Amino acid sequence: MINELKDPRKSFGDAIMEAALENPNIVVLSADSSSGSGLGDFPAKFPDRHFEFGIMEQGVIGYACGLATTGKIPVFAAIAPFVTARPYEMFRNDLGYMNQNVKVVGRCAGLTYDQLGSTHHSLDDVAIIRTIPGVTIINPGDPVTIRKAVHAMIKHVGPCYMKIGNPKMPVLYPEDIDFRLGKGIVIKDGRDVALIGTGTVLSKAVAAAKLLEESGVSVRLIDIHTIKPLDRDLILSAAREIGKIVTVEEHFLAGGLGSAIAELCSQEFPVKMKMIGINDLYASNGPYEQLIGKYGLQPDQIKETVIKFLNNK
Amino acid sequence: MDKKELLKLEYTALNLRRNILRLIRAGEAGHVGGALSSVEILTALYFYLLRIDPKKPDWSQRDRFVLSAGHKCLVLYAALAERGFFDKAVLDTYGSLDSRVPGHPNMHKLPGIETNTGALGHGLSISGGMALGIKLDKSPSKVYVVMGDGELAEGSNWEAASAAAMHKLDNLIVFVDRNNLQISGPTVEVMSYEPLAERWRSFGWGVRTIDGHNLETIIHTVKQTPFEIDKPSVIIADTVKSKGLSFAEGKVSYHYWKTKPDELEQAERDLDNIEKLLKAKMEGIGL
Repeated sequence: MINELKDPRKSFGDAIMEAALENPNIVVLSADSSSGSGLGDFPAKFPDRHFEFGIMEQGVIGYACGLATTGKIPVFAAIAPFVTARPYEMFRNDLGYMNQNVKVVGRCAGLTYDQLGSTHHSLDDVAIIRTIPGVTIINPGDPVTIRKAVHAMIKHVGPCYMKIGNPKMPVLYPEDIDFRLGKGIVIKDGRDVALIGTGTVLSKAVAAAKLLEESGVSVRLIDIHTIKPLDRDLILSAAREIGKIVTVEEHFLAGGLGSAIAELCSQEFPVKMKMIGINDLYASNGPYEQLIGKYGLQPDQIKETVIKFLNNK
Repeated sequence: MDKKELLKLEYTALNLRRNILRLIRAGEAGHVGGALSSVEILTALYFYLLRIDPKKPDWSQRDRFVLSAGHKCLVLYAALAERGFFDKAVLDTYGSLDSRVPGHPNMHKLPGIETNTGALGHGLSISGGMALGIKLDKSPSKVYVVMGDGELAEGSNWEAASAAAMHKLDNLIVFVDRNNLQISGPTVEVMSYEPLAERWRSFGWGVRTIDGHNLETIIHTVKQTPFEIDKPSVIIADTVKSKGLSFAEGKVSYHYWKTKPDELEQAERDLDNIEKLLKAKMEGIGL
Protein backbone atom coordinates (compact mmCIF):
# COMPACT_ATOMS: atom_id res chain seq x y z
CA MET A 1 0.00 0.00 0.00
CA ILE A 2 1.35 3.44 -0.95
CA ASN A 3 2.98 5.28 1.97
CA GLU A 4 2.92 2.17 4.19
CA LEU A 5 6.17 2.01 6.17
CA LYS A 6 8.24 -1.12 5.73
CA ASP A 7 11.61 -2.35 7.00
CA PRO A 8 14.04 -2.26 4.04
CA ARG A 9 16.09 -5.10 5.49
CA LYS A 10 13.03 -7.33 5.72
CA SER A 11 12.03 -6.40 2.16
CA PHE A 12 15.53 -7.34 1.04
CA GLY A 13 15.72 -10.56 3.05
CA ASP A 14 12.27 -11.75 1.96
CA ALA A 15 13.17 -11.14 -1.68
CA ILE A 16 16.39 -13.15 -1.32
CA MET A 17 14.39 -16.00 0.23
CA GLU A 18 11.95 -15.89 -2.71
CA ALA A 19 14.80 -15.89 -5.20
CA ALA A 20 16.59 -18.74 -3.39
CA LEU A 21 13.49 -20.92 -3.67
CA GLU A 22 13.56 -20.48 -7.43
CA ASN A 23 17.32 -20.60 -7.97
CA PRO A 24 19.33 -23.36 -6.25
CA ASN A 25 22.63 -21.67 -7.11
CA ILE A 26 22.02 -18.81 -4.67
CA VAL A 27 24.18 -19.11 -1.56
CA VAL A 28 24.40 -16.61 1.29
CA LEU A 29 27.65 -15.67 3.01
CA SER A 30 27.65 -13.99 6.38
CA ALA A 31 30.31 -12.01 8.21
CA ASP A 32 28.33 -12.32 11.43
CA SER A 33 25.90 -10.22 9.43
CA SER A 34 23.04 -12.30 8.02
CA SER A 35 20.62 -11.82 10.91
CA GLY A 36 21.14 -8.05 10.84
CA SER A 37 20.58 -7.98 7.09
CA GLY A 38 17.09 -9.43 7.05
CA LEU A 39 18.42 -12.92 6.38
CA GLY A 40 17.88 -14.33 9.85
CA ASP A 41 15.58 -17.07 8.52
CA PHE A 42 17.84 -18.09 5.65
CA PRO A 43 20.07 -20.57 7.57
CA ALA A 44 17.09 -22.55 8.86
CA LYS A 45 15.37 -22.58 5.48
CA PHE A 46 18.50 -23.32 3.42
CA PRO A 47 21.01 -24.86 5.86
CA ASP A 48 23.35 -26.13 3.12
CA ARG A 49 23.42 -22.77 1.36
CA HIS A 50 24.34 -20.44 4.21
CA PHE A 51 27.97 -20.00 5.23
CA GLU A 52 29.04 -18.17 8.34
CA PHE A 53 32.53 -16.66 8.40
CA GLY A 54 32.55 -14.38 11.39
CA ILE A 55 33.79 -10.83 11.18
CA MET A 56 36.16 -11.06 8.20
CA GLU A 57 34.61 -9.06 5.39
CA GLN A 58 37.64 -8.94 3.08
CA GLY A 59 38.00 -12.71 3.27
CA VAL A 60 34.30 -13.22 2.61
CA ILE A 61 34.61 -11.29 -0.66
CA GLY A 62 37.38 -13.70 -1.69
CA TYR A 63 35.36 -16.76 -0.68
CA ALA A 64 32.38 -15.36 -2.61
CA CYS A 65 34.60 -14.95 -5.67
CA GLY A 66 35.78 -18.55 -5.43
CA LEU A 67 32.22 -19.84 -5.01
CA ALA A 68 31.14 -17.84 -8.06
CA THR A 69 33.83 -19.56 -10.17
CA THR A 70 31.96 -22.81 -9.50
CA GLY A 71 28.65 -21.43 -10.77
CA LYS A 72 27.14 -20.37 -7.46
CA ILE A 73 25.51 -16.96 -7.04
CA PRO A 74 26.89 -15.71 -3.72
CA VAL A 75 24.99 -13.02 -1.86
CA PHE A 76 26.92 -11.21 0.86
CA ALA A 77 25.11 -8.61 2.95
CA ALA A 78 26.66 -6.64 5.81
CA ILE A 79 27.01 -3.09 7.11
CA ALA A 80 27.74 -0.91 4.07
CA PRO A 81 31.24 0.47 4.86
CA PHE A 82 32.44 -3.00 5.83
CA VAL A 83 31.63 -4.45 2.39
CA THR A 84 32.92 -1.48 0.39
CA ALA A 85 35.56 0.74 1.98
CA ARG A 86 37.20 -1.98 4.06
CA PRO A 87 37.56 -4.70 1.39
CA TYR A 88 37.88 -2.31 -1.55
CA GLU A 89 40.85 -4.12 -3.07
CA MET A 90 39.08 -7.49 -2.82
CA PHE A 91 36.00 -5.95 -4.44
CA ARG A 92 38.13 -4.46 -7.21
CA ASN A 93 40.36 -7.44 -7.97
CA ASP A 94 38.34 -10.51 -6.99
CA LEU A 95 34.90 -9.32 -8.14
CA GLY A 96 35.52 -6.50 -10.64
CA TYR A 97 38.72 -7.53 -12.40
CA MET A 98 37.75 -11.20 -12.34
CA ASN A 99 34.16 -10.28 -13.36
CA GLN A 100 32.57 -12.66 -10.87
CA ASN A 101 28.83 -13.06 -10.43
CA VAL A 102 28.72 -11.98 -6.78
CA LYS A 103 26.01 -9.82 -5.18
CA VAL A 104 27.31 -7.57 -2.42
CA VAL A 105 24.72 -5.73 -0.36
CA GLY A 106 25.57 -2.82 1.91
CA ARG A 107 22.85 -2.36 4.48
CA CYS A 108 22.28 0.43 6.96
CA ALA A 109 23.89 2.57 4.25
CA GLY A 110 24.21 6.35 4.11
CA LEU A 111 23.51 7.95 7.48
CA THR A 112 20.93 5.36 8.49
CA TYR A 113 23.20 4.00 11.22
CA ASP A 114 22.51 7.46 12.59
CA GLN A 115 23.74 7.22 16.19
CA LEU A 116 26.74 5.03 15.46
CA GLY A 117 28.91 7.73 13.92
CA SER A 118 31.20 8.00 10.94
CA THR A 119 32.81 4.55 11.22
CA HIS A 120 29.39 3.09 10.48
CA HIS A 121 28.06 5.71 8.10
CA SER A 122 28.56 4.99 4.43
CA LEU A 123 28.78 8.19 2.44
CA ASP A 124 31.54 7.07 0.09
CA ASP A 125 30.41 3.60 -1.02
CA VAL A 126 29.04 4.68 -4.39
CA ALA A 127 32.09 6.86 -5.01
CA ILE A 128 34.59 4.07 -4.49
CA ILE A 129 32.67 1.19 -6.06
CA ARG A 130 31.79 3.36 -9.06
CA THR A 131 35.49 3.38 -10.00
CA ILE A 132 35.44 -0.40 -10.54
CA PRO A 133 34.72 -1.23 -14.19
CA GLY A 134 31.82 -3.61 -14.78
CA VAL A 135 30.14 -3.36 -11.37
CA THR A 136 26.41 -2.59 -11.37
CA ILE A 137 25.38 -0.25 -8.51
CA ILE A 138 21.76 -0.35 -7.39
CA ASN A 139 20.22 2.04 -4.85
CA PRO A 140 16.47 1.43 -4.65
CA GLY A 141 14.33 4.01 -2.90
CA ASP A 142 11.33 2.08 -1.58
CA PRO A 143 10.36 -1.41 -0.37
CA VAL A 144 8.70 -2.36 -3.68
CA THR A 145 11.76 -1.53 -5.75
CA ILE A 146 14.08 -3.17 -3.21
CA ARG A 147 12.28 -6.44 -3.87
CA LYS A 148 12.32 -5.93 -7.63
CA ALA A 149 15.96 -4.89 -7.51
CA VAL A 150 16.88 -8.14 -5.73
CA HIS A 151 15.28 -10.25 -8.45
CA ALA A 152 16.84 -8.13 -11.21
CA MET A 153 20.24 -8.33 -9.53
CA ILE A 154 20.06 -12.12 -9.29
CA LYS A 155 19.08 -12.42 -12.96
CA HIS A 156 21.89 -10.08 -14.03
CA VAL A 157 25.16 -11.93 -14.60
CA GLY A 158 28.06 -9.94 -13.17
CA PRO A 159 29.23 -8.26 -9.99
CA CYS A 160 26.66 -6.03 -8.27
CA TYR A 161 26.62 -3.68 -5.33
CA MET A 162 23.21 -2.89 -3.86
CA LYS A 163 22.65 -0.53 -0.95
CA ILE A 164 19.72 -0.31 1.41
CA GLY A 165 18.96 1.71 4.52
CA ASN A 166 17.91 0.87 8.02
CA PRO A 167 14.81 2.74 9.27
CA LYS A 168 11.41 1.89 7.89
CA MET A 169 10.70 3.57 4.58
CA PRO A 170 7.44 4.42 2.82
CA VAL A 171 6.13 2.47 -0.15
CA LEU A 172 6.31 4.84 -3.13
CA TYR A 173 5.41 2.54 -5.99
CA PRO A 174 2.58 0.17 -6.86
CA GLU A 175 3.52 -3.52 -7.02
CA ASP A 176 3.33 -3.53 -10.83
CA ILE A 177 5.90 -0.76 -11.33
CA ASP A 178 8.15 -1.49 -14.31
CA PHE A 179 11.62 -1.88 -12.78
CA ARG A 180 14.58 -2.48 -15.04
CA LEU A 181 18.27 -2.28 -14.12
CA GLY A 182 19.88 0.76 -15.73
CA LYS A 183 16.55 2.44 -16.47
CA GLY A 184 15.45 5.33 -14.28
CA ILE A 185 11.82 5.95 -13.42
CA VAL A 186 10.08 9.25 -14.21
CA ILE A 187 7.74 9.51 -11.23
CA LYS A 188 6.08 12.64 -12.61
CA ASP A 189 6.74 15.01 -15.49
CA GLY A 190 7.34 18.75 -15.20
CA ARG A 191 9.05 21.64 -16.99
CA ASP A 192 10.85 23.97 -14.53
CA VAL A 193 13.41 21.65 -12.92
CA ALA A 194 14.50 18.03 -13.00
CA LEU A 195 14.69 16.73 -9.44
CA ILE A 196 16.65 13.47 -9.37
CA GLY A 197 16.71 11.35 -6.25
CA THR A 198 18.06 7.96 -5.25
CA GLY A 199 17.92 5.46 -2.41
CA THR A 200 17.04 6.25 1.17
CA VAL A 201 16.17 9.90 0.49
CA LEU A 202 14.10 9.31 -2.64
CA SER A 203 10.99 9.69 -0.46
CA LYS A 204 12.30 13.09 0.69
CA ALA A 205 12.66 14.19 -2.93
CA VAL A 206 9.11 12.95 -3.62
CA ALA A 207 7.78 15.02 -0.69
CA ALA A 208 9.86 18.03 -1.77
CA ALA A 209 8.43 17.80 -5.30
CA LYS A 210 4.93 17.96 -3.83
CA LEU A 211 5.84 21.08 -1.83
CA LEU A 212 7.37 22.65 -4.94
CA GLU A 213 4.25 21.94 -7.01
CA GLU A 214 2.19 23.59 -4.29
CA SER A 215 4.46 26.64 -4.66
CA GLY A 216 3.88 26.69 -8.39
CA VAL A 217 7.14 25.03 -9.49
CA SER A 218 6.68 22.33 -12.10
CA VAL A 219 9.00 19.40 -11.30
CA ARG A 220 10.13 16.45 -13.38
CA LEU A 221 10.78 13.94 -10.62
CA ILE A 222 13.16 11.11 -11.48
CA ASP A 223 14.28 8.04 -9.53
CA ILE A 224 17.73 6.87 -10.53
CA HIS A 225 17.83 3.53 -8.71
CA THR A 226 20.70 2.22 -10.83
CA ILE A 227 23.66 4.53 -10.42
CA LYS A 228 25.85 2.41 -12.66
CA PRO A 229 25.29 1.95 -15.52
CA LEU A 230 23.67 5.36 -15.53
CA ASP A 231 20.49 5.92 -17.59
CA ARG A 232 22.18 8.33 -19.98
CA ASP A 233 19.18 8.82 -22.23
CA LEU A 234 16.81 9.74 -19.41
CA ILE A 235 19.25 12.19 -17.84
CA LEU A 236 20.32 13.80 -21.10
CA SER A 237 16.71 14.26 -22.19
CA ALA A 238 16.03 16.03 -18.87
CA ALA A 239 19.10 18.19 -19.49
CA ARG A 240 18.00 19.08 -23.02
CA GLU A 241 14.31 19.57 -22.29
CA ILE A 242 14.52 21.31 -18.91
CA GLY A 243 18.08 22.59 -18.60
CA LYS A 244 18.15 22.59 -14.80
CA ILE A 245 18.97 19.58 -12.63
CA VAL A 246 18.96 19.14 -8.87
CA THR A 247 20.21 15.85 -7.37
CA VAL A 248 19.31 14.48 -3.95
CA GLU A 249 21.31 11.72 -2.25
CA GLU A 250 22.43 10.53 1.16
CA HIS A 251 26.06 10.40 0.06
CA PHE A 252 29.10 12.60 -0.29
CA LEU A 253 28.84 15.13 -3.09
CA ALA A 254 32.18 13.74 -4.25
CA GLY A 255 31.65 10.68 -6.38
CA GLY A 256 27.97 9.98 -5.85
CA LEU A 257 24.92 10.21 -8.10
CA GLY A 258 25.16 13.99 -8.53
CA SER A 259 28.78 13.63 -9.41
CA ALA A 260 28.02 10.91 -11.97
CA ILE A 261 25.31 13.08 -13.56
CA ALA A 262 27.63 16.10 -13.62
CA GLU A 263 30.30 14.00 -15.32
CA LEU A 264 27.80 12.97 -17.98
CA CYS A 265 26.21 16.37 -18.57
CA SER A 266 29.48 18.30 -18.57
CA GLN A 267 30.64 16.10 -21.45
CA GLU A 268 27.40 15.77 -23.41
CA PHE A 269 25.10 18.67 -22.62
CA PRO A 270 26.22 21.13 -19.92
CA VAL A 271 23.37 22.49 -17.80
CA LYS A 272 22.98 24.28 -14.50
CA MET A 273 23.09 21.83 -11.62
CA LYS A 274 22.70 21.80 -7.87
CA MET A 275 23.81 18.77 -5.89
CA ILE A 276 22.24 18.11 -2.50
CA GLY A 277 24.16 15.70 -0.29
CA ILE A 278 26.90 15.70 2.31
CA ASN A 279 29.94 17.88 1.71
CA ASP A 280 33.52 17.04 2.59
CA LEU A 281 33.17 16.20 6.29
CA TYR A 282 32.65 13.43 8.84
CA ALA A 283 28.94 13.49 9.53
CA SER A 284 27.66 13.94 13.05
CA ASN A 285 25.47 11.52 15.00
CA GLY A 286 21.92 11.68 16.30
CA PRO A 287 18.35 10.62 15.50
CA TYR A 288 18.08 9.88 11.77
CA GLU A 289 15.49 12.49 10.80
CA GLN A 290 17.37 15.21 12.67
CA LEU A 291 20.71 14.03 11.29
CA ILE A 292 19.70 14.22 7.62
CA GLY A 293 18.10 17.59 8.42
CA LYS A 294 21.53 18.78 9.53
CA TYR A 295 22.65 18.18 5.93
CA GLY A 296 19.65 19.71 4.17
CA LEU A 297 17.94 16.49 3.15
CA GLN A 298 14.45 17.09 4.60
CA PRO A 299 11.67 17.92 2.09
CA ASP A 300 11.22 21.58 3.11
CA GLN A 301 14.99 22.09 2.95
CA ILE A 302 15.18 20.47 -0.49
CA LYS A 303 12.33 22.72 -1.61
CA GLU A 304 14.12 25.86 -0.38
CA THR A 305 17.35 24.80 -2.06
CA VAL A 306 15.55 24.20 -5.35
CA ILE A 307 13.76 27.57 -5.22
CA LYS A 308 17.02 29.38 -4.42
CA PHE A 309 18.69 27.53 -7.29
CA LEU A 310 15.92 28.47 -9.72
CA ASN A 311 15.97 32.12 -8.62
CA ASN A 312 19.75 32.37 -8.95
CA LYS A 313 19.94 33.43 -12.59
CA MET B 1 57.22 -43.69 -9.23
CA ASP B 2 59.97 -45.34 -11.30
CA LYS B 3 63.25 -43.68 -12.16
CA LYS B 4 62.37 -43.13 -15.80
CA GLU B 5 59.22 -41.31 -14.93
CA LEU B 6 61.06 -39.20 -12.40
CA LEU B 7 63.83 -38.30 -14.84
CA LYS B 8 61.25 -37.25 -17.41
CA LEU B 9 59.69 -34.97 -14.86
CA GLU B 10 63.10 -33.52 -14.03
CA TYR B 11 63.56 -32.86 -17.72
CA THR B 12 60.18 -31.14 -17.77
CA ALA B 13 61.28 -28.97 -14.85
CA LEU B 14 64.29 -27.97 -16.91
CA ASN B 15 61.99 -27.09 -19.81
CA LEU B 16 59.99 -24.88 -17.47
CA ARG B 17 63.20 -23.10 -16.47
CA ARG B 18 64.03 -22.67 -20.15
CA ASN B 19 60.54 -21.24 -20.75
CA ILE B 20 61.04 -18.81 -17.88
CA LEU B 21 64.32 -17.70 -19.40
CA ARG B 22 62.56 -17.29 -22.75
CA LEU B 23 60.01 -14.97 -21.14
CA ILE B 24 62.71 -13.01 -19.34
CA ARG B 25 64.69 -12.67 -22.55
CA ALA B 26 61.63 -11.18 -24.27
CA GLY B 27 60.75 -8.81 -21.45
CA GLU B 28 64.33 -8.02 -20.41
CA ALA B 29 63.14 -8.15 -16.79
CA GLY B 30 60.81 -10.05 -14.49
CA HIS B 31 60.14 -11.65 -11.12
CA VAL B 32 62.50 -14.53 -11.70
CA GLY B 33 63.49 -15.50 -8.15
CA GLY B 34 60.15 -16.79 -6.92
CA ALA B 35 59.28 -18.27 -10.31
CA LEU B 36 62.39 -20.44 -10.29
CA SER B 37 61.95 -21.48 -6.65
CA SER B 38 58.55 -23.00 -7.41
CA VAL B 39 59.41 -24.77 -10.68
CA GLU B 40 59.39 -28.27 -9.14
CA ILE B 41 56.07 -27.62 -7.39
CA LEU B 42 54.40 -26.57 -10.65
CA THR B 43 56.07 -29.39 -12.57
CA ALA B 44 54.68 -31.94 -10.12
CA LEU B 45 51.25 -30.34 -10.31
CA TYR B 46 50.88 -29.72 -14.03
CA PHE B 47 52.66 -32.86 -15.25
CA TYR B 48 51.60 -35.43 -12.67
CA LEU B 49 48.99 -34.42 -10.11
CA LEU B 50 46.40 -32.06 -11.58
CA ARG B 51 43.29 -33.52 -13.26
CA ILE B 52 43.18 -31.11 -16.17
CA ASP B 53 42.67 -31.15 -19.91
CA PRO B 54 44.38 -28.41 -21.94
CA LYS B 55 41.75 -28.92 -24.65
CA LYS B 56 38.96 -28.27 -22.12
CA PRO B 57 40.31 -25.58 -19.80
CA ASP B 58 36.81 -24.90 -18.39
CA TRP B 59 35.96 -28.55 -17.70
CA SER B 60 33.80 -28.36 -14.56
CA GLN B 61 35.40 -31.40 -12.93
CA ARG B 62 38.98 -30.12 -13.27
CA ASP B 63 41.33 -29.53 -10.39
CA ARG B 64 42.02 -25.85 -9.81
CA PHE B 65 45.39 -24.20 -9.44
CA VAL B 66 45.60 -20.74 -7.89
CA LEU B 67 48.85 -18.80 -7.91
CA SER B 68 48.27 -16.63 -4.89
CA ALA B 69 51.72 -15.11 -5.23
CA GLY B 70 50.85 -13.74 -8.66
CA HIS B 71 54.25 -12.23 -9.27
CA LYS B 72 55.56 -15.79 -9.73
CA CYS B 73 53.51 -15.87 -12.96
CA LEU B 74 56.50 -16.65 -15.18
CA VAL B 75 56.47 -20.21 -13.84
CA LEU B 76 52.71 -20.46 -14.44
CA TYR B 77 53.06 -19.30 -18.05
CA ALA B 78 56.00 -21.68 -18.44
CA ALA B 79 53.97 -24.64 -17.14
CA LEU B 80 50.79 -23.85 -19.09
CA ALA B 81 52.71 -23.41 -22.34
CA GLU B 82 54.67 -26.63 -21.77
CA ARG B 83 51.42 -28.47 -20.99
CA GLY B 84 49.85 -27.25 -24.23
CA PHE B 85 47.31 -24.70 -23.04
CA PHE B 86 48.69 -22.20 -25.55
CA ASP B 87 51.43 -21.80 -28.12
CA LYS B 88 54.91 -21.22 -26.75
CA ALA B 89 55.28 -18.29 -29.14
CA VAL B 90 53.11 -16.33 -26.70
CA LEU B 91 56.06 -16.44 -24.28
CA ASP B 92 58.07 -14.27 -26.67
CA THR B 93 55.59 -11.41 -26.25
CA TYR B 94 56.36 -10.90 -22.56
CA GLY B 95 56.82 -7.19 -21.91
CA SER B 96 55.18 -6.00 -25.12
CA LEU B 97 52.02 -3.89 -25.41
CA ASP B 98 48.84 -5.94 -24.87
CA SER B 99 50.82 -9.12 -24.30
CA ARG B 100 48.76 -12.10 -23.17
CA VAL B 101 51.43 -12.79 -20.58
CA PRO B 102 51.39 -9.69 -18.36
CA GLY B 103 53.48 -9.17 -15.24
CA HIS B 104 50.69 -10.71 -13.18
CA PRO B 105 48.28 -13.35 -14.50
CA ASN B 106 45.01 -12.39 -16.16
CA MET B 107 42.41 -15.15 -16.62
CA HIS B 108 40.71 -13.22 -19.42
CA LYS B 109 43.84 -13.33 -21.58
CA LEU B 110 44.83 -16.99 -21.59
CA PRO B 111 43.20 -20.41 -21.13
CA GLY B 112 44.17 -22.32 -18.01
CA ILE B 113 44.55 -19.33 -15.71
CA GLU B 114 41.99 -19.56 -12.90
CA THR B 115 42.42 -16.21 -11.13
CA ASN B 116 43.69 -12.68 -11.48
CA THR B 117 46.24 -12.45 -8.72
CA GLY B 118 49.04 -10.01 -8.06
CA ALA B 119 47.95 -8.14 -4.95
CA LEU B 120 49.11 -10.49 -2.21
CA GLY B 121 46.81 -12.11 0.32
CA HIS B 122 43.89 -12.72 -2.08
CA GLY B 123 44.50 -16.23 -3.38
CA LEU B 124 43.77 -18.26 -0.29
CA SER B 125 40.26 -16.94 0.29
CA ILE B 126 39.42 -17.27 -3.41
CA SER B 127 40.73 -20.85 -3.30
CA GLY B 128 38.70 -21.53 -0.17
CA GLY B 129 35.57 -20.39 -2.00
CA MET B 130 36.41 -22.68 -4.92
CA ALA B 131 36.93 -25.60 -2.54
CA LEU B 132 33.62 -24.84 -0.85
CA GLY B 133 31.75 -24.66 -4.17
CA ILE B 134 33.34 -27.92 -5.31
CA LYS B 135 32.24 -29.62 -2.10
CA LEU B 136 28.70 -28.29 -2.55
CA ASP B 137 28.69 -29.91 -5.98
CA LYS B 138 30.00 -33.15 -4.47
CA SER B 139 32.78 -33.06 -7.05
CA PRO B 140 36.08 -34.90 -6.45
CA SER B 141 38.11 -31.92 -7.71
CA LYS B 142 40.83 -30.41 -5.55
CA VAL B 143 42.14 -26.89 -5.24
CA TYR B 144 45.90 -26.34 -5.17
CA VAL B 145 47.47 -23.05 -4.17
CA VAL B 146 51.00 -21.67 -4.26
CA MET B 147 51.74 -18.89 -1.80
CA GLY B 148 54.96 -17.04 -1.11
CA ASP B 149 56.48 -16.97 2.35
CA GLY B 150 56.73 -13.16 2.32
CA GLU B 151 53.06 -13.08 1.35
CA LEU B 152 52.13 -14.63 4.68
CA ALA B 153 52.54 -11.24 6.38
CA GLU B 154 49.23 -10.22 4.80
CA GLY B 155 46.60 -10.68 7.52
CA SER B 156 43.90 -11.64 5.01
CA ASN B 157 45.63 -15.02 4.62
CA TRP B 158 44.95 -15.88 8.21
CA GLU B 159 41.26 -14.97 7.93
CA ALA B 160 41.13 -17.29 4.95
CA ALA B 161 43.03 -20.03 6.80
CA SER B 162 40.64 -19.91 9.77
CA ALA B 163 37.63 -20.16 7.50
CA ALA B 164 39.09 -23.07 5.50
CA ALA B 165 39.53 -25.04 8.73
CA MET B 166 36.12 -24.03 10.05
CA HIS B 167 34.44 -25.21 6.85
CA LYS B 168 36.52 -28.44 6.80
CA LEU B 169 37.95 -27.85 3.33
CA ASP B 170 39.92 -31.09 3.07
CA ASN B 171 40.05 -30.66 -0.72
CA LEU B 172 42.28 -27.59 -0.36
CA ILE B 173 46.05 -28.08 -0.62
CA VAL B 174 48.39 -25.15 -0.14
CA PHE B 175 52.09 -24.95 -0.91
CA VAL B 176 54.11 -22.28 0.85
CA ASP B 177 57.10 -21.70 -1.40
CA ARG B 178 59.48 -20.95 1.46
CA ASN B 179 62.45 -19.45 -0.37
CA ASN B 180 63.19 -17.30 2.68
CA LEU B 181 63.72 -14.06 0.81
CA GLN B 182 61.62 -11.02 -0.02
CA ILE B 183 62.43 -7.61 -1.50
CA SER B 184 63.91 -6.11 1.66
CA GLY B 185 65.84 -9.15 2.80
CA PRO B 186 65.42 -12.48 4.62
CA THR B 187 61.72 -12.99 5.33
CA VAL B 188 62.23 -13.89 8.99
CA GLU B 189 64.05 -10.58 9.46
CA VAL B 190 61.50 -8.48 7.56
CA MET B 191 58.43 -9.96 9.32
CA SER B 192 58.96 -13.33 10.85
CA TYR B 193 56.35 -16.04 10.33
CA GLU B 194 58.08 -18.52 12.63
CA PRO B 195 57.22 -21.01 13.92
CA LEU B 196 55.50 -21.50 10.56
CA ALA B 197 54.40 -25.14 10.84
CA GLU B 198 53.02 -24.59 14.33
CA ARG B 199 51.23 -21.48 13.19
CA TRP B 200 49.38 -23.34 10.42
CA ARG B 201 48.69 -26.25 12.77
CA SER B 202 47.19 -23.88 15.34
CA PHE B 203 44.88 -22.55 12.61
CA GLY B 204 43.48 -26.06 12.18
CA TRP B 205 45.48 -27.29 9.19
CA GLY B 206 47.36 -30.52 8.55
CA VAL B 207 51.02 -29.64 7.92
CA ARG B 208 54.08 -31.21 6.28
CA THR B 209 57.48 -29.63 5.64
CA ILE B 210 59.42 -30.93 2.64
CA ASP B 211 62.26 -30.24 0.19
CA GLY B 212 60.45 -28.16 -2.40
CA HIS B 213 62.87 -29.09 -5.17
CA ASN B 214 62.44 -32.86 -4.83
CA LEU B 215 59.78 -33.93 -7.31
CA GLU B 216 59.34 -37.39 -5.86
CA THR B 217 58.84 -35.96 -2.37
CA ILE B 218 56.35 -33.36 -3.59
CA ILE B 219 54.24 -35.97 -5.36
CA HIS B 220 54.44 -38.47 -2.50
CA THR B 221 53.40 -35.77 -0.01
CA VAL B 222 50.44 -34.54 -2.07
CA LYS B 223 49.23 -38.14 -2.40
CA GLN B 224 48.95 -38.26 1.40
CA THR B 225 46.51 -35.36 1.54
CA PRO B 226 44.40 -34.67 3.45
CA PHE B 227 47.01 -35.14 6.14
CA GLU B 228 44.29 -35.08 8.77
CA ILE B 229 40.61 -35.95 8.49
CA ASP B 230 38.38 -32.98 7.60
CA LYS B 231 41.29 -30.53 7.58
CA PRO B 232 42.85 -28.48 4.79
CA SER B 233 46.49 -29.31 4.08
CA VAL B 234 49.56 -27.11 3.84
CA ILE B 235 52.91 -28.20 2.49
CA ILE B 236 55.76 -25.96 3.54
CA ALA B 237 58.19 -26.37 0.67
CA ASP B 238 61.75 -25.35 1.47
CA THR B 239 63.20 -23.89 -1.69
CA VAL B 240 66.04 -21.76 -3.03
CA LYS B 241 65.18 -18.46 -4.64
CA SER B 242 66.31 -18.26 -8.29
CA LYS B 243 67.06 -22.02 -8.22
CA GLY B 244 69.10 -23.06 -11.24
CA LEU B 245 70.91 -19.80 -11.97
CA SER B 246 74.39 -19.99 -10.45
CA PHE B 247 74.84 -16.24 -10.16
CA ALA B 248 71.41 -15.54 -8.66
CA GLU B 249 70.57 -18.43 -6.32
CA GLY B 250 69.70 -17.22 -2.83
CA LYS B 251 70.29 -13.56 -3.67
CA VAL B 252 67.70 -10.92 -2.76
CA SER B 253 68.63 -8.75 -5.73
CA TYR B 254 67.21 -11.33 -8.17
CA HIS B 255 63.67 -11.12 -6.78
CA TYR B 256 63.13 -8.94 -9.84
CA TRP B 257 65.84 -9.43 -12.44
CA LYS B 258 66.72 -6.71 -14.91
CA THR B 259 68.77 -8.74 -17.32
CA LYS B 260 72.29 -8.03 -18.54
CA PRO B 261 73.65 -9.77 -21.65
CA ASP B 262 76.42 -11.58 -19.79
CA GLU B 263 73.97 -12.83 -17.16
CA LEU B 264 71.64 -14.16 -19.84
CA GLU B 265 74.54 -16.05 -21.39
CA GLN B 266 75.49 -17.45 -18.00
CA ALA B 267 71.88 -18.46 -17.40
CA GLU B 268 71.87 -20.41 -20.68
CA ARG B 269 75.12 -22.14 -19.71
CA ASP B 270 73.67 -23.01 -16.28
CA LEU B 271 70.61 -24.63 -17.84
CA ASP B 272 72.80 -26.41 -20.42
CA ASN B 273 74.82 -27.86 -17.55
CA ILE B 274 71.66 -29.12 -15.87
CA GLU B 275 70.68 -30.72 -19.16
CA LYS B 276 74.07 -32.46 -19.47
CA LEU B 277 73.67 -33.94 -15.99
CA LEU B 278 70.15 -35.10 -16.77
CA LYS B 279 71.25 -36.69 -20.05
CA ALA B 280 74.02 -38.56 -18.27
CA LYS B 281 71.48 -39.83 -15.74
CA MET B 282 69.14 -40.90 -18.50
CA GLU B 283 71.89 -42.76 -20.34
CA GLY B 284 72.76 -44.41 -17.04
CA ILE B 285 69.35 -46.08 -16.93
CA GLY B 286 69.17 -46.73 -20.64
CA LEU B 287 66.77 -43.94 -21.68
